Amino acid sequence: MVAGKSADTAHLYEGKVMRAAAPSRKKLAGKMKAGGAEVPDDAVPKVHIPTFVESLFGGPLVPKMKFLPADRMVQTLQLIGGGLMMMLAVLTYLVTPADGTFWNGFALWMGFDALGQILHLVIVIAALGAGFFGIFRRDARGLLVSYVLFIVISLRFAASKDTFDTGVLSEVGEFWTKQLIVLYAVSLVMYMEVTNGIIRFSMLDTSIRTGEVYVMNVKKVLSRYHISLVVTPVIAAFVASCTLLINVIIPWFFEFFDKETSVRLSQSVELTSVYGVALGTMFVFILVATLFAANIPLRIQQWREAADD
Amino acid sequence: MAWSRKSAMFASLATALYLLGLVLRNSQLVTVAVVFLSFLTWAALRAAHADVAATGRRIDEEEDSEDAPTLASLSAMRKISAARIFEDGEIQVTLRLQNHSPLSKILEVKDTVPEVMRIKEGANYILMELGPRRETLIEYTVECPLRGFYTLGPVSIRVQDPFGLFHKEKEIHVYDDFLVFPKTEDLKEAFVKSRVPKIFTGAVNIRQPGEGSNFYNLREYIPGDPMRKVNWKAYARSGKMMVNEFERDAVSDIILIVDSRSISETGPVSRNSLVYSTRAAASLAQYFLSRRDSVGLVIYGSDINSVDRDTGKKQLYVLLTKLAGAAAKGNTPLQVVTNRIMPHINKGSPIIILSPLEGDPTLINAVRDFRAREFDVTVLSPSSLEFEFDAKRLDRTGYEVMKTERDILMTELRGLGAFVMDWEPDMLLSTALAGARGF
Repeated sequence: MVAGKSADTAHLYEGKVMRAAAPSRKKLAGKMKAGGAEVPDDAVPKVHIPTFVESLFGGPLVPKMKFLPADRMVQTLQLIGGGLMMMLAVLTYLVTPADGTFWNGFALWMGFDALGQILHLVIVIAALGAGFFGIFRRDARGLLVSYVLFIVISLRFAASKDTFDTGVLSEVGEFWTKQLIVLYAVSLVMYMEVTNGIIRFSMLDTSIRTGEVYVMNVKKVLSRYHISLVVTPVIAAFVASCTLLINVIIPWFFEFFDKETSVRLSQSVELTSVYGVALGTMFVFILVATLFAANIPLRIQQWREAADD
Repeated sequence: MAWSRKSAMFASLATALYLLGLVLRNSQLVTVAVVFLSFLTWAALRAAHADVAATGRRIDEEEDSEDAPTLASLSAMRKISAARIFEDGEIQVTLRLQNHSPLSKILEVKDTVPEVMRIKEGANYILMELGPRRETLIEYTVECPLRGFYTLGPVSIRVQDPFGLFHKEKEIHVYDDFLVFPKTEDLKEAFVKSRVPKIFTGAVNIRQPGEGSNFYNLREYIPGDPMRKVNWKAYARSGKMMVNEFERDAVSDIILIVDSRSISETGPVSRNSLVYSTRAAASLAQYFLSRRDSVGLVIYGSDINSVDRDTGKKQLYVLLTKLAGAAAKGNTPLQVVTNRIMPHINKGSPIIILSPLEGDPTLINAVRDFRAREFDVTVLSPSSLEFEFDAKRLDRTGYEVMKTERDILMTELRGLGAFVMDWEPDMLLSTALAGARGF
């Protein structure tokens, strides 16, 4: 184009200006008022603008998919999820006493001590109710509320060893106390996983039945999930036990070298407190990180493939 | 290895609970966090066993890398039933997936299919367990409702841990291209004949004496006329040697001009002016080529694409391919097209313009130029107003106003001697052509 000339085509076609783009009829439809005509619904394309929460999490938290009636696999998961939730509710009530919670503090400030216990129980029951709704109606919102309530109930100030000693856990020894805590933690995580599995498998089942996805050898695919549901909590419980029992493991290790150091370590306040657990976590996960750094999973696979060849 | 939203949430929750546990001196919270972390770590460890690359690169590119044993174990091949089909046709796809590894794998396989295609039978998304050194066939049928150039592939393979926390994805770059031609309508008669035929004989008789089969006229014998043309009955009646003349059978040049400016796509995706124009052009090309005419094609949008006149089946495929690839782009005026092509086409040849007749102020001038040079101009105009009105995108008042404007323009074109037809949706092409020619 000649410098200085306008960008339109008037100079080419006898003064007529060519439109650079197609005229927007949708825009015209939007402007029309005559005869009380309304803008047709589909004149403006529907675009879903993600909410702040959705953009934060990278997508909708609750899938809007409508599920078909639950199949056997989903029904089994619903039963497992319900059972796990009942166990979790009991364990939560046992492991996390009302002492040190916000609502207990509020009840003490009001001068009505029993209110703390009542509120504590109400939260557990509310978590159960929301959980049952989420599990059997397959509604992720109910499950989300239930997760939040089960976590909120364990948020306590000054929940050190002393607090346990005044609770139900004072009846059992330290080892079993810790195992009970591990069982509680594993139940919470597995409850989250199984209930999430209900939604996931409902989606998969709906996709299969609507022909969107085809599954070859369903039994093998599902058996892998079932095996993982058994193996994973065992491993998680083992790792958690190792970290919680660090005040037993470290003195036992040092006993081979120096008995006095071992006794001192077993009496260490830091090792028996929550900081001991943090130290245990650090040790365990340094070990795991080393496994990953050495690319052990790949090497195991290479070894297996080479052995089979 | 990629994190899912679930694993990211679990990790965030674990970190938050861990820190909160330390701050509040709450060993339950720390324990829950540790269980979460163990859970994630175990899942990551299982996912790391997966047999596909996180990078999604080609298998053969990875041969030398350390990851090669895990990558080279899967391969895919695809076979399609046809590489060229017409709109609404179906293609059967067979995807062969091989596991070269001695280990069994659980895979999610998705064969990428263009968005406009519909899966009619089978599935392109499969969750499966593929045994050691086994192969499997995935079969599905896609329906192709719209013309165009399409590609099937790549094959996406995903391996994830049983809890859906981590996954590895790989794309096997297996591609298959295919072409969807615009669908055609069988025409019995197009009512278009050239007044300036070419010298070669063809299947169409024109109103000129020459070599042909239909009787045209009687004339006096001229020395040199073959004796078999002598009409003996006329000779007996008149006493003069008379010979039969026949209508000339000949071929002619037909030029199809398809408007593919961006405005021609106004309306629903499957029902707009460009869709109808390409289908009409394909039907006309098939018809004219079957009667041994030479057919040329001009598609104008952002630029001008033309196929020179030629005859035969090969030409039909060339034209159909061009029509399949016509995309609604740009705003080149018709005047530019006429200026470009007029010097190259025989004066008087039939020209068929397929256009919505919108947004082009040079239209009248362009048709006037054609008519001034005695071209036989037929304008078939699929009305985008009807498409939009049917789709309830346009209200009654707007429709009436624009329809009136359109009618005025058509009357003006008819005044120039062009045969113009407002082609409404669902009207058969043969009916539209007959209407344009005043039958």
